[in-house]
Amino acid sequence: MSRIHEAAGSVSRRALMAAAVSTVAMAAFGGTAARAQDGLGTPEQPIEVRMIANEAFANQWQTLMVPEFNKAYPNIKVTIDGVPYVELLAKSMLDATGPSPTYDIIIADDPWVPQLAEVGALMDLKSAEAAAWTDAGYDWDDFNAAPLAAGEWKGVQYGVPLRSNMLMMFVNKALYEKAGVPVPTPDITWEQYLAQAPKLVQDTNGDGKVDAWAIDTYFVREPLTPTIWQTIMNSNGGSLLDENGKPAFNTEIGIAALETHKKLLEFAPTGAVSHGFSESLQAFRQGLVATMFNWGSVYKGSAIDEKTTTLKPDQVGIQALPAGSGGPGAHRGIWNGTVSSKSENKQAAWTVIQWLSSKEGEAWHSANLGVFPARKSTLAAKPSVEWLGPVFVGLQQAYDAAEKGKMWRIRHPRSDAAQQILADEHSRFMAGQIGAAEALQVAADKIEKVLD
Amino acid sequence: MRTMTAAGARKVRSRTWTTLADVMSRWAFMGPAAIILGAMLAYPIFYTVEISFSRFDLMTFSAVEWIGWENYAHVLDDYRFWSSMKVTLVYLVFALPLQIVLGFGIAFLINADWRGRGTVRALFIIPMVVAPVVAGGIWRMILDPLWGIMNWLIGLAGFAPLDWFGDPNLAMAAIVIIDTWRWTPFVVLIATAALLSLPRDIFEAAEIDGANWWSMLWSITLPLLVPIIAATFVVRWLGAVKMFDIALAATYGGPGGATNVINLFIYEEAFRSLRFAESAAMAVIVLVLTMVLTGIFLFGTRKLEERC
Repeated sequence: MSRIHEAAGSVSRRALMAAAVSTVAMAAFGGTAARAQDGLGTPEQPIEVRMIANEAFANQWQTLMVPEFNKAYPNIKVTIDGVPYVELLAKSMLDATGPSPTYDIIIADDPWVPQLAEVGALMDLKSAEAAAWTDAGYDWDDFNAAPLAAGEWKGVQYGVPLRSNMLMMFVNKALYEKAGVPVPTPDITWEQYLAQAPKLVQDTNGDGKVDAWAIDTYFVREPLTPTIWQTIMNSNGGSLLDENGKPAFNTEIGIAALETHKKLLEFAPTGAVSHGFSESLQAFRQGLVATMFNWGSVYKGSAIDEKTTTLKPDQVGIQALPAGSGGPGAHRGIWNGTVSSKSENKQAAWTVIQWLSSKEGEAWHSANLGVFPARKSTLAAKPSVEWLGPVFVGLQQAYDAAEKGKMWRIRHPRSDAAQQILADEHSRFMAGQIGAAEALQVAADKIEKVLD
Repeated sequence: MRTMTAAGARKVRSRTWTTLADVMSRWAFMGPAAIILGAMLAYPIFYTVEISFSRFDLMTFSAVEWIGWENYAHVLDDYRFWSSMKVTLVYLVFALPLQIVLGFGIAFLINADWRGRGTVRALFIIPMVVAPVVAGGIWRMILDPLWGIMNWLIGLAGFAPLDWFGDPNLAMAAIVIIDTWRWTPFVVLIATAALLSLPRDIFEAAEIDGANWWSMLWSITLPLLVPIIAATFVVRWLGAVKMFDIALAATYGGPGGATNVINLFIYEEAFRSLRFAESAAMAVIVLVLTMVLTGIFLFGTRKLEERC
């Protein structure tokens, strides 16, 4: 009997202990889980996250990306406000520096992270707080160094690459064949490219008038135009700033690169000096130019989508820009996903960005929207659609070139002011108002003052 | 005596009350408008002036430290500011007289009684209601050297194609053409109304006296229209000096800085380069210059009205 009592007492004590342990465990882990669930919303109380992004892709994300994200996280409601590119930085800054910002997520262009980080607007995505919300399978080391570095400032990771754009060379192989010129390989140098260019200015229908040209790209007065010059300079070993952050582009290499950029006008369509992103894209997609230096993200619309191009997939090649003495050229243009440091929904905001930059999110993004991935594993894997195969090869080459030659715009809290100065002086040179040396000298003097 | 004093006091009280009531009723009408004007107009102007004398902190997005004339010194030391002022002057010198002459000329021509005049007048309003950015974009397509209809027409006439946006002079011409296309109808509308309001008896008397068409235009119509022309000029001047959207859409201020009008430069410095303090200083300089020149034009207009 006493044994029975002892046994009963023993069982009872064990049961009590087990119950106590499970209660403590539930309090500890279950509570955390409940809190985590709160941070990601519940069916009854979903979390609302607002994002400010470039209007060029905001609508596409809202209608296609958000429903895909909601399959994994149904309790996070994402609203994306599209803003014209020229107003995006100012509006993001104005909102982020306010006492209670509207936006939890800011989609920042490549040179904007230092500006936003410097005013304390962004959350450290590798902080202990963010680490607790980061999926165990989220592999930071899998990112290519160049795109990931776009979201970093002073050793802190504020952003992750969501749309990894690179300045690349598009090739219309049909025009090369028609001119009897070999289609360029990734090893083509600037000398070889410029030697071929005159032959690519041709009369393709035999009516005695030139109707196809060698090149179209950015020549117009706008901040992205100097990136072409900079890519030529970087691929020849030049750089924008020295190790002390002072202008270092006013050199023989910089002058020669600027003159090369202007020389391209000789082989470009009439009026190309006022061409930028849209005009060069239009010329390429209509089959008027043999090459185009433009952002890689336009590949799908230039080669695949019949609604937007006259070209066929097998006609279009994509690769890094011609090589200088230091190697091939490219230029980084990453859209970074960042979380507002004042957001009340940081966990949900980081979850949105994390999903989109994860291996799974990147694969969906590139296959369905033609957006370029930043992860090495995504680029090395067999893409889900055939046309992405050669694109990934070219993109990896561009990432490597950009990383090697530090091919990106000035990274500084006043980088946009510096870029505007470069655009002004570059345009004066292109219009023949001043010489290359004077343009770079004036730009260097002004940029030194601005960055000081 | 005491009664007189009380009556006098009542009279004084009554007069004071009447005056007070009068002032209060006036302010009751003026108050809302004054408050709205103060909030919507005066505050932004004073805030711009404050920023122009301060260091602008992007962290708080506000003016934080009084630095005197430093921003003005930076602006005046920047060749791009002076270049933009010069570009603006060139644009105004060509665009304004062209619009006034064309506007009054067209109004004079369509003032005659002819079939379809109403329809033509209605069509004239279309360019005014087109958004400037859209107008700039459409004209960019029309003047495109490769695809544009303008060069095609020029080619039909046997001339070589023109690089409208690549040549600095042609780019300025393009801006003047687009702006004139947009705003001449406005001048036409004002001029048409002015022509219709001219007293008929003077023209009838002149006709009886044997005056011909030219004499009536030169000696009667134009002198009578001078105050209207001057007023229209001032209104257009105030509109034209603000122009930047057409340049932004059509030429991006290029080539070089050939069409970089001052307001486009201010916009770029503020919203692209985030140099709000320097931009505010430029805006204040432009505001003062515009006020001074507008004052001179208004003075001239009054003098012309007195002469007429």
